[in-house]
Amino acid sequence: MKKLIAGALLMGASTLAFAQPGCGVGAMIWKGQSGIAPHVLAATTNGIAGNQTFGMTTGTLGCQTNESVQSMAMYMDSNIDKVARDMSRGNGENLDTLAVLLGVDEADRDSFRKILQDNFATIFPSSETTSGEAVDAIVALLESDQTLSKYVAA
Amino acid sequence: MRTSLQFALALAWLASGFHTFAASLPDTGDLHQHPAWLTLVHYQPDRFGDGYTGQADDKEFFLSEKGKTSPQAELEATLAAITRPGSGDDHARCRFPARDRWLRQQLDLPQQPAACPAFENWATELNTETVTLVFAASYLNSPSSMFGHTFLRLDPPREDEETNLILASTISYAADAAAHESEILFAYKGIFGGYPGITSIQPYYEKIRLYSDIEHRDLWEYQLNLNQAEVDMLLAHTWEIRDRNFDYYFFDENCAYRLLALIDVARPGTNLLAEVSTHAIPSDTVRWVVDRDLVNTVNYRPSAATRVSHAIEALPDDHQTLAAAIANGYVDADAPEVKALNDEERARVLDTTYDYVRYQSEAEGWPREYAAPLSHDLLRERSQIRGVEALKGPQQPAIRDDQGHDTFRTSLSGGRIGERNFTELTLRPAYHNVLDPPAGYRGGAQLEFLRLDARLYTDNKELQVEQLTGVEIRSLSPRNQFFSPLSWQVGFGGRRTDTETRRVFTPYLEGGAGGSWSLASGTQAFALATADLEIDDDLRRGYDAAPGADLGLLHQNNQFSVLAGIKTRAWIVSSQHRQDQAYLESNWHFGRSFGLFGKFSREYHYDRYRSTWQLGLHAYF
Repeated sequence: MKKLIAGALLMGASTLAFAQPGCGVGAMIWKGQSGIAPHVLAATTNGIAGNQTFGMTTGTLGCQTNESVQSMAMYMDSNIDKVARDMSRGNGENLDTLAVLLGVDEADRDSFRKILQDNFATIFPSSETTSGEAVDAIVALLESDQTLSKYVAA
Repeated sequence: MRTSLQFALALAWLASGFHTFAASLPDTGDLHQHPAWLTLVHYQPDRFGDGYTGQADDKEFFLSEKGKTSPQAELEATLAAITRPGSGDDHARCRFPARDRWLRQQLDLPQQPAACPAFENWATELNTETVTLVFAASYLNSPSSMFGHTFLRLDPPREDEETNLILASTISYAADAAAHESEILFAYKGIFGGYPGITSIQPYYEKIRLYSDIEHRDLWEYQLNLNQAEVDMLLAHTWEIRDRNFDYYFFDENCAYRLLALIDVARPGTNLLAEVSTHAIPSDTVRWVVDRDLVNTVNYRPSAATRVSHAIEALPDDHQTLAAAIANGYVDADAPEVKALNDEERARVLDTTYDYVRYQSEAEGWPREYAAPLSHDLLRERSQIRGVEALKGPQQPAIRDDQGHDTFRTSLSGGRIGERNFTELTLRPAYHNVLDPPAGYRGGAQLEFLRLDARLYTDNKELQVEQLTGVEIRSLSPRNQFFSPLSWQVGFGGRRTDTETRRVFTPYLEGGAGGSWSLASGTQAFALATADLEIDDDLRRGYDAAPGADLGLLHQNNQFSVLAGIKTRAWIVSSQHRQDQAYLESNWHFGRSFGLFGKFSREYHYDRYRSTWQLGLHAYF
């Protein structure tokens, strides 16, 4: 199941060149709007194919070979602001999606949510944090946790 | 010698085998006329003559040279191609898995599966158990999305909870327009053709981001009751049309149309495309799908904007003021007055403020230098509060978009203008007027296309076109301390205008912009500055223009809607007269199919007063 989800994710972004998973690059959280582009886009998207989708900046994500972590990194890159929001609240569908992508069992979901909320300031130290840095911080946190480390093992 | 004899025998056997094989291509009879075949190759009956034409604008989609216009040639070519020995991704069986499956069933051909690695990988990755039709609600501030938009979501088997679904894949059919093209060019090419239409696959979360977060459109998810075989057929056909070009047309062969075809293929006999006449409005197509009992369950996913409004309304007044103060930088996220609140109240204020700041950044382009540090402060403060869940999103509206009134309206009325009586017939093919039943439509939004008002004057039995509206759009959205949208209107067409001695039919263009303020739930007051232009050789200088104003009140509820106000226009080129008008229009809704309407206006123009009143019945279908 996990593999399949990862597959679907990667396929969704099949137009992207995947570089060797590297370190700490990715979308900056709360990236700004560039001029009128959003309005023009909003105006035309009904009929426009997905060649100009948001998010998914090309780049390298997460210094990891673990496939689940890579999927998480891709998801974070598109949805980092919503992931950060749910993390600060300790619940929400974007947080649950991270858990699904990492394959976290139901039994471990509460500790997963808690550790991320407790360490919000570590994962997102500033408003300049990028999704790659946040992924690295999450992986480091989970690795240091006895029950959760198995989900990020390389 | 023996060996060569054996060889000769084997050859003879092979030859006869081939012979029987070739001869055994079954007689296809009238199969090429079968509705399922016509659907599979997207044939439509020709408007003139009794032939068919395939809608694909792509040679690769046809196996026969004559395939575009001959269902029979295409069927024969397909049959020959799929029964040809061999396999692999380039084999016809792998390029057209849905045709292959259907023909084999119809003709009782051997069912042994073909080895098609590319298709199989693709289908395995899509991992689809059920299909959901997703409807993105209309969005008035952009002409191309005013009618809403639909796409399909491919849902994986649900082993745990629903979160998997935002990772699911979606299928959409869309015009492949160049990103830099203007709205006007888009509309033009959309109507008259010119864009290639492409079927694309994207993860659902990208769609949520686009529609919910950026365009502020609520999403409605209609889970279809297709069984596994039907789902497989739908996927097989998606594979066939993937990357194939079908020209995109704004009104009929649009996003919704191609999806209907996919559903028709999945469940033969559904025949959704038969409903499409001149236009396929996405909300109407959802109605057809619902009417054919194709829907299991419906789920509502409010947009970021809907959620923010809901969260703001849920805050007590003083907390609303506090949230606005934090968002605008007058109060810090960790200021004493915030800390003084209890955990739950503080969580609500911080959550609402954050969502509002994000909304403003997307919608109003708040600069990142301001919004990002503030967003970070808000989340950091919020992460200190444990055990308080976020507020639940707004409830699903009692009436869904597809349950609103039908979009074609016919009206019959009697009235009197000055001293003359008339009977009026109005035809309006699409879509919604602010006085129509509001349920299922956006409040204060109006979009009418090709409305014709024809009058028969009873005194001399004269038939006159009173007005022919090309397009009329109105968007009245209330302003408050959090949101400050512009209210605006634009329209063009032809209408009767007074030249003092007679009423002549003249082309017109009108527009207006201003603000609107909510007085109570469902009631708003608006003030618009307007501009009118009329061009006709019956006007003294051939045209006339008028700056003006329109002040009014609009009330909408499920029983009745009322619009009242005063309008003034100063014609400055030809007639140099002021035209003042007081108006009152109302519609009593009887269910969602009928309405009783009344209109009254009193006008001062050319130094005289004139009243017009009208009473009649609307029917929606």
